[in-house]
Amino acid sequence: MERRTLLKAGLGLASLPFMSRLAFGQDAKPVNFWYESASPENQENLQKLLVEAFNAKHPENALSVDFRGSDLDKQLRVAMLSGTGPDVVYTAGPSYVAAMAQAGQLLPLDDYATKFGWDKRLLPLFLDMGKYNGKLYALAKTYETLGLFYNKTVFEKNGWKAPATIAELETLADEMKGKGLVPFGAGNADWRPANEHYVSIILNSVAGPENVHKALMGEIPWTDPAFVASIDKLAEWWDKGYFGDNYFSLTGEQAFGSVGTGQSGMAPTGTWNFSNVGTYFTANQQEAGFVGFPSLKGDPVYALGVGSTFSINAQSDNPDGAAAVLDYVFSPEFYSTVNSVWQGEWNLPLADLSTVKLSDKVLPLYAETMKTLASAVGEGRYGYTTWTFLPPATDTYLVSGMEEVWLKRLSSTDFLKKLDETFKADKEAGKAPAIPPRA
Amino acid sequence: MHWLYVVPTLIINFAIVLIPALATVLLAFCNFDGLSMPTFVGLANFEALAADRVFWVALGNNIIWTVIFLIVPIAMGLLAASMLLIARRGSSFFQIVYFLPVVIATVITARVWQGMIYSPVTGVFGVLKQYGIAIPNPLTQPSLALFGVATVDLWHWWGFLCVIFFAALRQVPQEQIEAARIEGATYVQMMRYVMLPAIRPTITLLMIMTVIWSFLAFDFVYILTQGGPAFSSELLSTLAYRQAFYELNVGRAAAAALVISLFGLVGTFFYVRIQAREGEQ
Repeated sequence: MERRTLLKAGLGLASLPFMSRLAFGQDAKPVNFWYESASPENQENLQKLLVEAFNAKHPENALSVDFRGSDLDKQLRVAMLSGTGPDVVYTAGPSYVAAMAQAGQLLPLDDYATKFGWDKRLLPLFLDMGKYNGKLYALAKTYETLGLFYNKTVFEKNGWKAPATIAELETLADEMKGKGLVPFGAGNADWRPANEHYVSIILNSVAGPENVHKALMGEIPWTDPAFVASIDKLAEWWDKGYFGDNYFSLTGEQAFGSVGTGQSGMAPTGTWNFSNVGTYFTANQQEAGFVGFPSLKGDPVYALGVGSTFSINAQSDNPDGAAAVLDYVFSPEFYSTVNSVWQGEWNLPLADLSTVKLSDKVLPLYAETMKTLASAVGEGRYGYTTWTFLPPATDTYLVSGMEEVWLKRLSSTDFLKKLDETFKADKEAGKAPAIPPRA
Repeated sequence: MHWLYVVPTLIINFAIVLIPALATVLLAFCNFDGLSMPTFVGLANFEALAADRVFWVALGNNIIWTVIFLIVPIAMGLLAASMLLIARRGSSFFQIVYFLPVVIATVITARVWQGMIYSPVTGVFGVLKQYGIAIPNPLTQPSLALFGVATVDLWHWWGFLCVIFFAALRQVPQEQIEAARIEGATYVQMMRYVMLPAIRPTITLLMIMTVIWSFLAFDFVYILTQGGPAFSSELLSTLAYRQAFYELNVGRAAAAALVISLFGLVGTFFYVRIQAREGEQ
C-alpha cells in the first residue's frame, strides 16, 4: 500500500473517537463536585445513587464526583482563593461558609431556592443557618448530633445501664476502668479537630445550651464560670484516664471500632459514626446503643451540628447545573436511596420525611435516633456544636488550646481567656456565622 | 546585546518569584484575610507575632530542628559515603537503597511511620509493647513530638546527603589518597587530613543549605502532628500556614514568612561570603 494511503487511513481511524463529539451540536455541560473521604463501598454508592441517577435524569449536565480525602478542606481553601475550585462546593460547616460568603466566593442561592422550592422543602432552622447577611449561601447536607454510643452487649453482660446524668457517667467510667476497659473510645490521630467533639459535648452538658447561646450572641464572655467549670470537668476526665493512653495515636475509626470489639466501653461521638456500626458492631455480633449525652440534671442534650454544607462556586461555569444537582440531592427520593446504604452522613434537613422509605437493612436505632433528633430540633431543644456555630479562628484555636489544657501546659482560665479574645476579634471582623434565635 | 539572552529567564523569575515575594513583604504590613481587600497596619502583625507565645515556641523548634539537621544527617552521610568509597563493589546498590527514601512521596513516608511504626496499636511500637518493651509514641508526647517528626524526616533525608558526599569524595585526587596510604594513614587520619578538607566546599554548601531548608521545613510536621500535640512540634511554617488558611489572617502569616526568610537570608549571606573568599584563594 502506498504510504500516503496508509497515512490517510490512519488519520481516519484516529479521528473516529472524536466523531461522537462532533456529531452532537451540544455536549453535556460538566458539573464537578469535590467530595471528602468515603470508603470504597460508599464511593460506589455515591457514583450509583447520585452521579448516575442524576445524569440519567438530567442528560444536559454531566456530573462527576472527585474524592479528595480528608484534605478536602485545605485543597478547597487554596482552590477557592485562586478562583478555581469545583462547581458544587462542599464545606465542613457554616463557619467556613461565612468567611467564603464574605469574600464573594459563593453564589447567593435565594433565586434558586424560590425557583426550586427549597425554602419550603427544607426545615426553616437550617435555611437560617445557611444565611450570611440575610442571603442564603449554603444548604446543610447533614445535620447531626453528639451523643454516647455504647456496646449494648457488653453493658448487658456487666449489668450496666446507659447513663443519664454526669454523675452516673463518671461512676460507670470508673467501673469500666476497674475492669480494664478504656471508658471512652476516642482518638484524634487522623483528624486533630476531633478535640472539639469533646469540648462541644462538655460545654452543652455542663454549662448548658442556654449559656452557650448567650456566649455565641456575645451576651456573656467565654470566661464565664459556667464554661470554666465545663473545661475543668473535661480536664478532670482526661486526668482520670477516661480517654485512655492512646488518644493521640488512634484514628477516629479505630477508636470507634474499639467499642465494638469491647476494648472501650463508650464512645462520646457524633451520629456520623452510624456508618461504622455495621463494620465494627454487627460484624462482631455486638449490639450498638446510642443515647443523648448525659447532662448535669439528666435530660439528654442534643448539640446540633451541621456536618457539611453544599454551596455553589461564584466562579462556576455551570451554576444552573450545580443548582440542579443540589435540587436532586435535597429530594425525598435521594434521601431514601442514600440513607438506605449510608447512614449518618446524609441526614438532609428535609421538612417532610413522610414519603421517605428506608430499606429494612437500616439499623432501627438509626431511624429512631434521627426521629428523636428531628423532633428535638423542631421543639427548640438543641445545643451548639463548636464547628457549626463558632467563627473560624476561634474554632481553630479551640482545637489546639484544649490539648494544652489536657497536657497541663495551660490553665482552663487562660485557655478561655484566649478563646474569648479570639472570638471577639472574629466577631468584629464579621466572620461569625448566623446564630438562630432560641425558641 | 548579550544580556538580552537572560530576558526570558528574568521574565519567569519576575512573575513567579519576585512579584509574589514583594507581595508577601507588602502583605506582612497589612491586615488581609485572604478574601477581601487588605488594609495597611504597619508593624501590627510583627508586634502580634512577638506577643504570641506560640511564635516563640515555633522559632525555638526551628532552631532545634536546624541543629539536629546540621549534625545528624551530615555525619551519617559522610560516614556512609566514606564507607561506600571503601567498599567500591556494592556502592551502586547501596546508593540506591540509601536514596530510595528521598524519592518516596513525603505523605506516604509520613503515614507509614505514623501507622506502621509509631502506632502503639497497629505499628512496630505496638508489637514491641506486647513483648514488654513499652516505648511511647513520640508523636503523642509534647516533649518528644518534634524529635519524632525529625526522625522521620532524617530517615527521608540523609540518603540525599550521602549520595552527594559520595560524589564529592570520588572527585578527591587519587594522588593525595595514594600518598596518604603510602605514608600509612589510618581511616580516621585519611578522613581528617585528606578527604574532609578536600570536600570542604561541598560540606560548607550543604550546611548552609541545611540552615535555609530547616527554616522551610513543613511537610512532615504538617502531616504527622500539624504542630501538636499542644503546639509542641509547631514550626514557623506550620504557624504561617495555619494563620493563612485556618484563621484567615494572611497578613500575620506573611509576617511569619518574612521571619523565615530572614534566617534564610542570613545563611545566604554567609554562603556568599565564604564563596567569595574561596574564589580569591
